[in-house]
Amino acid sequence: MREKLAAAPASPHTEPRVSARLKSGGLWKCIKRDKYLYLMLIPVIAYYLVFKYAPMFGEIIAFKDYRFADGIWGSDWVGLKHFRKLFGSPDFFNILKNTLLLNVYTVVFGFPVPIILALLLNELRIEWYKRLVQNLLYVPHFISWVVLGGIIIALLSPSSGAVNMALHNVFGIEPVYFLASQFWWPIVFVLSGIWHSAGWNTILYMAAMTGIDPQLYEAARIDGAGRIRQIWHITLPGIRSTIAILLILRMGYMMDIGFEHIFILQNSAVSEVADVISTYVYRMGLQNVQYSYTTALGLFQSVIGLILIVSMNRVVKLFGEKGLW
Amino acid sequence: MIEQRNLGSRAFHGVIVIFLGLTGFLTLFPFIHVIATSFSGGRAIASGEVFLWPVDWTLQGFRNLIEDGQLFVGMRNTVVITLIGTCFNLIATILAAYPLSRRRLRGREGLLMAITFTMVFSGGLIPNFILIKTLGIMNSYWALWLPSLISTYNMFVMKTFFEGLPGELEESASIDGANDLVTLARIILPLSLPILAALGLFYAVYWWNAYFNVLIYITSSSKLSLMMVLYQKINNVSEALLSTGGGSEGAVSGQNLTPEGIRAAAIVTATAPILIVYPFLQRHFVKGVLIGSIKG
Repeated sequence: MREKLAAAPASPHTEPRVSARLKSGGLWKCIKRDKYLYLMLIPVIAYYLVFKYAPMFGEIIAFKDYRFADGIWGSDWVGLKHFRKLFGSPDFFNILKNTLLLNVYTVVFGFPVPIILALLLNELRIEWYKRLVQNLLYVPHFISWVVLGGIIIALLSPSSGAVNMALHNVFGIEPVYFLASQFWWPIVFVLSGIWHSAGWNTILYMAAMTGIDPQLYEAARIDGAGRIRQIWHITLPGIRSTIAILLILRMGYMMDIGFEHIFILQNSAVSEVADVISTYVYRMGLQNVQYSYTTALGLFQSVIGLILIVSMNRVVKLFGEKGLW
Repeated sequence: MIEQRNLGSRAFHGVIVIFLGLTGFLTLFPFIHVIATSFSGGRAIASGEVFLWPVDWTLQGFRNLIEDGQLFVGMRNTVVITLIGTCFNLIATILAAYPLSRRRLRGREGLLMAITFTMVFSGGLIPNFILIKTLGIMNSYWALWLPSLISTYNMFVMKTFFEGLPGELEESASIDGANDLVTLARIILPLSLPILAALGLFYAVYWWNAYFNVLIYITSSSKLSLMMVLYQKINNVSEALLSTGGGSEGAVSGQNLTPEGIRAAAIVTATAPILIVYPFLQRHFVKGVLIGSIKG
């Protein structure tokens, strides 16, 4: 994929020769030579230590009864108490199920959409029209979930929302409580997710398509292939590795569903299908001040997430592609 | 390319043109609808007459916002958060990306590994919250800026860009006696304007939309960000809309004002700045994504 995306790949220019000459010096010499670079890195390293690694260390409160007054060191060790409580609670299985299910729905129904849009956009022969449609499709990606959620809530309102009004006027259907119904809520969640990001996600596929050799299309036309056959036999195979990588990496984020999208659309009527790990941690942890208990949940989520991402990255590399690292 | 001018191919193209036009319209419809609602009278909104064009033109919703003033305090705060936050982000990202793009740097590999690790494993919400509390920066904008100082992904994008610049430029600079700082300021950064623009935009949008961090870390109402104020405004009516009857019947003082109208006006006001600058910035965004995807 990378080769195809890179019009002018970052060439590993003349560095190897230079560094071979320079690296022969001792460690002290290197530090002296690059003193400004190391100076620049000091705040950066401090940032990663304080704001990325310190919270990782802070996760040990999952094994303690954390009290703010005692600090992380001073609080008492309690072993696996919080994990036992977590795995013994019915809440846990419900939020785990919801997190995974909503993610599965999002992948199954949302993942193909940008591919289809990109294939269609790629067939457009009117350049200005293509650019216009693309730019329209990108818009929701830049708008916050607060705004998108506000619009969705207004559109779906049973009393005055445009959707219910249209349903009523055209089909005579009684108002549907989309956001308060356990059946409709996941559907609204998935569709709004598609609205938010499908257009934006076409960018990578479009870029991959520009890397396909035009001669292939030429040859196919001479062989008498129509548009649809060209899509099927040339365009799709041309972006296959991009699709595979994005799909595999997406699988690595099954435990992670974000917060804002869910939180904005959530309400008490649908918590059985809409409560997920992130919102549960927010509610139980920050609002009910159960720091250690929810940190245990967060740790569980992070570890599973880590395993998923690392293994998916390995799968990508088995395909012979570059992964995340 | 030679076009095949047969009927089937043309029909196929026509179908795609129409389908994509409809998709683009559907994507935009909710925004158009909310704009129309924001300029419509309360009776028309409540009876669901408003679709694409305002019915019973009125500016009541916006007037109510101005009298209320909260949203504009939020907007002022967000402008401050966005401007300063984006500057911090860009400076910190350059400080990280430039040294890490020099292959000769000792310890580079180890640092890169340690940084990459933070992309796949993170401390989680509660430990972060405790950290901010312990640092004593709750309810100040530092609690927003500091934890989001560097987006590691953006940093890698910039690093890749730096690595792609021709090495001869720096060699000649160092022959002329320039040290790393001078090289960065005089040679690298002027060549990096496209990537600085793209990443600056990503960061700025992040801050403009800032909501979750504000929800957790900012407690005093005079410091809330635009999105947080907006959330409160939306939330006030959304529970009412879910319950039977809906919010429209409890019209707020004045005949022409409904919660929906106020909410629509608030949404339009908060989103307008992004939608207005969007056409000018859009290509920078796309460029940023493409450079990012090239990264190995």
